[in-house]
Amino acid sequence: MKTYWVAYQIALQETLQRRSTLIMDRLGGFAVVVSLYSFWTALIGDKATFLGYTRAEMLTYVLALNILRSFVFTGRGWQLVGEISSGRISSYLIRPLSYHGYALALDLAQKTIHVAAAALEVGLLVLCVRGELFLPQDPATWVLFGVAALLSSLLFFFLEFMISSLAFWTSESGGPLFCFELFLQFAAGAFFPLDVLPAALRRALEATPFPYMVYFPVRIFLEKVPPLEGMRMLSMEALWLAAAYAAATTVWKRGMRSYAAEGG
Amino acid sequence: MKALLAKYGRIWLRTSAMALQAQLTYRLGSFGFLLGKMIRLFFFFAFMAAVFQHVETVAGYSLVETALFFMTFNLIDMTAQILFRCVYGARRTVNEGDFDFYLVQPCSPLFRMTCSTVDFLDVVTIIPVIVMTGMVFARLPPLGWENYAAYGLLMVNGVGLIYAIHILVAALAVRTQELESAIWIYRDVMFMGKFPMDVYAPAVRWALTVGIPIAVMTTFPAKALLGRLSAGWVVYALALTAAALPLSWMFWRASVARYTSSSS
Amino acid sequence: MAVAIETRGLTKDYRSPLKEPGLWGGVKSLFDRKYKDTRAVDAVSFRIEEGELVGFLGANGAGKTTTLKMLSGLLTPTAGSATALGRVPWKREADFQRSISLVMGQRSQLWWEIPAYETFKLNQAIYGLSDKDFREHLDELVDLLGLGEHLSVPVKKLSLGQRMRAELAAALLHRPRLLLLDEPTIGLDVVMQKNVREFIKAYNKRSGATIMLTSHNMTDVVELCRRVIVIEKGRLLYDGALDRLVERYADHKILRARFTAAVDPAELAELGVVVKYEDMTVSLEVPRVKIAASAAALLRTHPVADLNVEEVAIDDIVRRLFSHI
Repeated sequence: MKTYWVAYQIALQETLQRRSTLIMDRLGGFAVVVSLYSFWTALIGDKATFLGYTRAEMLTYVLALNILRSFVFTGRGWQLVGEISSGRISSYLIRPLSYHGYALALDLAQKTIHVAAAALEVGLLVLCVRGELFLPQDPATWVLFGVAALLSSLLFFFLEFMISSLAFWTSESGGPLFCFELFLQFAAGAFFPLDVLPAALRRALEATPFPYMVYFPVRIFLEKVPPLEGMRMLSMEALWLAAAYAAATTVWKRGMRSYAAEGG
Repeated sequence: MKALLAKYGRIWLRTSAMALQAQLTYRLGSFGFLLGKMIRLFFFFAFMAAVFQHVETVAGYSLVETALFFMTFNLIDMTAQILFRCVYGARRTVNEGDFDFYLVQPCSPLFRMTCSTVDFLDVVTIIPVIVMTGMVFARLPPLGWENYAAYGLLMVNGVGLIYAIHILVAALAVRTQELESAIWIYRDVMFMGKFPMDVYAPAVRWALTVGIPIAVMTTFPAKALLGRLSAGWVVYALALTAAALPLSWMFWRASVARYTSSSS
Repeated sequence: MAVAIETRGLTKDYRSPLKEPGLWGGVKSLFDRKYKDTRAVDAVSFRIEEGELVGFLGANGAGKTTTLKMLSGLLTPTAGSATALGRVPWKREADFQRSISLVMGQRSQLWWEIPAYETFKLNQAIYGLSDKDFREHLDELVDLLGLGEHLSVPVKKLSLGQRMRAELAAALLHRPRLLLLDEPTIGLDVVMQKNVREFIKAYNKRSGATIMLTSHNMTDVVELCRRVIVIEKGRLLYDGALDRLVERYADHKILRARFTAAVDPAELAELGVVVKYEDMTVSLEVPRVKIAASAAALLRTHPVADLNVEEVAIDDIVRRLFSHI
C-alpha cells in the first residue's frame, strides 16, 4: 500500500511541476464549459424550461459536467499505450507491484489536482453568473451522487484500460483509443444532456454503460431520478463496473501472455 | 523568388508523399482516427438537428443559419488541420532532435515545423463536410455576390490568422520544452467557434472577438455571408491577420535564437 | 591552407529551472520559480584548417556536443564568436548550410516508417540537387557504405549498423565541405565501428572535407585523428597532436615479465604498480625515470624468463586523463 501512496505523491508533484501544461489543460476545459453554458442559455432564451431543465438546472448541469470531466475522464490509457509500444512496461512487470494499482495511484493524483482546479473554476463561474444554481437539500442526494461519480470514474478507468491494452497486439492502438474516447464523451452526455436525442437513440444508448458516466450522476444530483430508480441504476452501474473490471483484467492477462511470447 | 517557391513546392510535395506512405503503414490506427473524427462530426450535426426539433431559433438564427456557422467552422478548422498538421508533433520534433536537423538544413525550419506534411485523414474527412456545406448553401435565400466574396475573403483571412497561432505554438514548443502541447488548448478554445457568437454573453463575445479572436477565424465568414457583418469588422479582421502574422513570426525568431536543443 | 573553423572565446550558458524537493516545493514552484545558469562551454578558442580531421575529446557533459551544435548553427552562443567556412554559423545562411552536415549518433533524420531512399529524395529537394548529381552522389555513397538493398526497406526494419550507414549517406548526399560528427559509432558492434571509421577516413581523403568528430570510443580517435582538442568542464584543456598528448600525460611505462616459477605478488609491488599478475606473467607500471633501475632489480631478485618494456596504450592514457578530470 505504501508503494502506491508514494507513487501518488510523486505524481502529484510532477503534475504541479509542469505548471504551464496544467494551466493550459484547465483553460481548455474551461472554454468548453463556457461555450456549452452559453449555448444552452441561448436555447432556453426566455422560456421557463427547455427539455424539462430550468435555467438553474441547466447551469448546474454544465458546472457538474466540469467537475465530472476532471474526475471521470482522466485515465491513464495514453500512458499505457506509450509504455507498451516503447517496451518500458517491462520495467514495471518485474517489480512486485500491480500495474493497475500503480496506474490507479497516478490517476488519482491527476484527479486530485484537476478536481481541485475544477472546483475553483466552478466557484469563479458561480460568482460571475450570480445565484441561480440548483443545490440539492437532501443529504442523501449528495451521498448518491458521490457514489455514482466514484463508480463512473472506476468504470472509465477500466474501460479505457481495456482499449489501451490492444497495444499489446498492435502498435496502432492509439487510433481505436481516440475513437473510443470521442464516442464515449458524446454517449456519456459530456457535451449535452442525452434528453435532446430522439427517444429511440437515447434508449439504445441507455443499454450501454456510457450514460452512467456523466449523464446519470448529474441527473441524480439534479434530483431528476426517483430514489428507487436511482438505487436500481446504481446497481446497474456497479454491474457494468464489475464487467468492465473483468474484461480489462482478462484482456490484460492475455496481452501479457502474447507480449511475453513475442519477447516484448 | 520563383526558384524559391518551386523549391518549397518540391519539398512540400515530397514530405506530403512521405507522410501518406507513413500513414498507410498504420492502417488500423488511421482508421480509428478517421472514424473518431466522423463520429464527432455526426454527433454534433445530429445534436444540432435534435435541438431544432424543440426550438425555432437559437439567438435569432434558424436551423439552416446555425448549420452554416457550424459547417463553416469545420471547413476552416479542417483546412488548417490539413495544411498545418505537423505543428501537432512540434514537441516531439523538438524532444527527439528532429528540429536539430531542421536547423542545419537549408530550408526554413518554420516551414518544416508547421506545414511540411499533409494529413490525408483530414483530406478524407473534409469531403463530407464540403458536401454538407453545399447542402446548407442550397437552403440559403439568394444572396448578392459581395456576400460570397466577403465569405471567401474572410475564410482565407481566418486560415491566415490560424496560421499565426500555429507559429506561436511552434515557437512555444521550441522555447519551453516543458509545455506538453500548447496546440490542445487551441483545439479546446476553438470549440467555442462552433456556435454563432451571439449565443455568448457580451463579455465573452467581446473576448472572443478582440482577446482570443476565435470569432474572427470561424464565425465572421458566415456572418458576412448572411449580411450581418459591418464593413468596419471586415477591415478589423483583415488588419488583425496582417498584424498577427509578422508578430508571431518575430516571436518565432526570438524563440529559435534562444533554442537550447535537448541534450543527446 | 584556408581556415575551416575559427572560434574566439566561444561561450554558452544553459538555464534550467531549479526543482525544490517535496510536495510543498512543487506547489511553490507553481508560482515562484528559480533558475540556475550552467556554463556548458567556457571561452573556447581554436582554429581548424580545411581538410583536417580533428578529434574532440572530453568527459560526459564537458561541452563537446554543445560546441558542435554552435558550429553547425543550431545554437546561438552566449558570448564569443566563431566562423565556419568563413560564415557565422548561427546566421544559418542557405549556402553555408549547403556546405555542412551534422551527424549525431543518437539522433536520426531518417523517417522511421518508410525506406531511407525517401529521405534521400527529400534531401535532394532540400539541398536543391539536380537529378544527375543526386544519382552520382548516391551511387558513390551506396558503394562506399555497402548500402545496396537496404535502401528500399523501411528504416525501422534496419539493424543499428545499417541505419547508421544510411544516416551517413543522408548526411553526405550534398557533399558537405565541413562534417561534424557527434559519436558516430555509438552503439555499434566492433566490426561496424571499424567500417564506419574506414568510411570516415576515406571520405576525408577523397573529398578533402574538414571533419570534426567526438567519440567515447578511443579507437575512433586513435585511428582517425592526428590532432585532438580536449575540453574539460567547458574549458579548453589541450589542443595539439595526439602523440604529444601521450608524451605529456604518459609519465609511466609498462614493464612486462614472465617468470619460470611462481613469485609473491607482494614483493613485485615494491617495484611498481601491479596492473596484472596471472600465469606467472606480471605487468608492472613504473615511472619513466625509474624504469632501468626497476628492470635491473627484477632480473636480480626473481626467476625471469622474458622481459619487455612497453609504452602505455594511447586509449589508456586518454581514459586516465578523463578519470582524473
